[in-house]
Amino acid sequence: MKIAVENGCFGYKKGEQLLQNVSLEATDGELVAILGPNGAGKTTMLRCMMGFLKWKDGRSSIDGKDIRNIPPRELWRTIAYVPQAKNASAAYTAGEMVLLGRSSRIGIFSQPKQEDVEKADEVMERLGILHLKEKKCSEISGGELQMVLIARALASQPRILVLDEPESNLDFKNQLIVLETLSRLASEGMICLFNTHYPAHALQRAGKSFLLCKDGSSIFGPTREVVTEANIRRAFGVRAVIGDVETPENILRSVLPVEIVPEGWKENESAADGSIRRIASITILTKDYGMAGKINEILHRYSELVIGRMGMPYKKAGVFFISVALDGTESEIQALGDALGLLPGVSVKTVFAKEEKGTEIHEQPRTD
Amino acid sequence: MRAAVKQQGKLSFGWLVLLFVLPVAVGFVALGIGRIWITPSDIFASLVTKLSGGEAVSAQNDMVLWNIRLPRILLDMLVGAGLSGAGCAYQSLFANPLATPDTLGVASGASFGAALGILMGMSLLGIQGTALVFGGAAVLLTWLAGAGKGRGLNTIVLSGIMIGSLFSALVSLVKYTADTESELPAITYWLMGSLDSANFGSLKLGAPPILIGLILLLALRWRLNLLPLSEDEARSSGVNVRALRVVVIICATMMTASCVSMCGQVGWVGLLVPHICRMKFGNNHLSLMPASISLGAVFMILVDTLARSVTAAEIPVSILTAIIGAPFFIILMRRSGGWSL
Repeated sequence: MKIAVENGCFGYKKGEQLLQNVSLEATDGELVAILGPNGAGKTTMLRCMMGFLKWKDGRSSIDGKDIRNIPPRELWRTIAYVPQAKNASAAYTAGEMVLLGRSSRIGIFSQPKQEDVEKADEVMERLGILHLKEKKCSEISGGELQMVLIARALASQPRILVLDEPESNLDFKNQLIVLETLSRLASEGMICLFNTHYPAHALQRAGKSFLLCKDGSSIFGPTREVVTEANIRRAFGVRAVIGDVETPENILRSVLPVEIVPEGWKENESAADGSIRRIASITILTKDYGMAGKINEILHRYSELVIGRMGMPYKKAGVFFISVALDGTESEIQALGDALGLLPGVSVKTVFAKEEKGTEIHEQPRTD
Repeated sequence: MRAAVKQQGKLSFGWLVLLFVLPVAVGFVALGIGRIWITPSDIFASLVTKLSGGEAVSAQNDMVLWNIRLPRILLDMLVGAGLSGAGCAYQSLFANPLATPDTLGVASGASFGAALGILMGMSLLGIQGTALVFGGAAVLLTWLAGAGKGRGLNTIVLSGIMIGSLFSALVSLVKYTADTESELPAITYWLMGSLDSANFGSLKLGAPPILIGLILLLALRWRLNLLPLSEDEARSSGVNVRALRVVVIICATMMTASCVSMCGQVGWVGLLVPHICRMKFGNNHLSLMPASISLGAVFMILVDTLARSVTAAEIPVSILTAIIGAPFFIILMRRSGGWSL
């Protein structure tokens, strides 16, 4: 199965273009993150994709078939939608809420059958929320409510799951529960698309990402290529640092917002695109001699960039100096700096050589 | 093990039987209450002779029972069930606990129609007809004023309030121009609600819209659970929610206009009974709708029986619905710790 948006354009008012020529696609087992700042149109994007709003131009399709030509009952057996928990009606018990997810499979004048009730229970059990069944949705926590809404969506046995900011407003634990659930569903073959404010969640979970900028343009591709510092700066207007965080088990990519980029930064900075080759040097200071090994390890990973290095212990003050000269793309150099900077007790400074040439602004390619 | 999975909100067999039996039983007892007291056994005897075609034991009793009290109690049941069902549907449709059957202005419109009919000296059936027509017209106006692309349901509720007050003003206008000796008292009394005009003639015109509405709402009862959900959620259920809303509005309008056309404005039932049922049965319409309909009928029989038998002169029923309903409601609300919609 494949869901795709092809050259979608949308604006609420005439002449306004909130979404310009957006395209994305997802196939079985893919987890796709839709990223963007507040007000960029992430929710609008989802609503257009599912047909709640009409594309001004372009279309959404499932297996090549325009979703407008798919009868609603059939469409909503294939796709299931999980709204933001804050908009959810709280009048029902969790069990009743989940059972409502069976609507597309129950006749108009019929009531749920035993099979439907069992299916709803089975989904709740799988998500570990069966104990909430008798509780009112108004009396459970935000994280629990989110899981109830996911269960309701799954009760219709969909192939595609669309979630609107499923992990926002949740604490760390509940964020992890929700994200783990998504990862698991995707690994079982479900197509999952979710909106999120957090680039880190995209990096840690999503194979592909769709990044929406305020100006209506967008980037879609493998997450590692989409969620870069340059793209985050462009979309969010924030200078962010992407780095690896090592846990005993594995290395997690993480994004740390550092500072707001002033308006109009593009004009006087050449760093708009991470793919320009630059000359730079990184200076590393540490008082922890034990870190030297780690630093060497990281430098070794980026050895292609390194054109020269110098190391010097200053025993009197117990400080170790390392200086590396580099030739590589800006994003590679920044990634190296970030990786080093995340080591505990290590100070890192990256200095780029000034460019002689005039500034060049690289726009993302657009299809015409 | 499998059979242990029970569906929530489904009426247990006991409740189902009770909800069927209670209105009939209460109605049967109420048949005997009034200025002439008739014991249940006499009612039963009279019923048997009537069905078997035998000689009546007491012609007067028969007359009172079958020509005066029976149509009135049938009307009680219909009106109670209809208003309560319509109120329940509207509360869910507008996700608003304050919604009543009159939210879209149907009762005000019907009242205007009836007042106009009385002013023009129409027959009772004529008055009933104009009330029905104007009730429908008021809702249509509300719909035209409030519905539209991208507008929420609250716009419709607001236009309902506007159209309702418009028709209330028109009722005042009719009252102002009415003859103070005969027409004005008739209009005023009618507006307060009275079921004493009940006869099989008016039931023939008034019952079918209520019954059709009730049957449709009952058939759709599980679907009604989708109504309070947000727009996108409801649409993503794969159900045509707009069509569902329109059907609910048409049902509720038919039912309410028909009730008002037969017995004037009976307030409170459509607000009180569904909320009382929500406290007991929760918000799942699978049980809420049948319960509202059944208990609405019971409540109306009780109140109307009081209205016609407590004093020599009949008390207008909408006065009693509020006097009895409000304290009862408050006690229940405090006991059950409130509810949420």
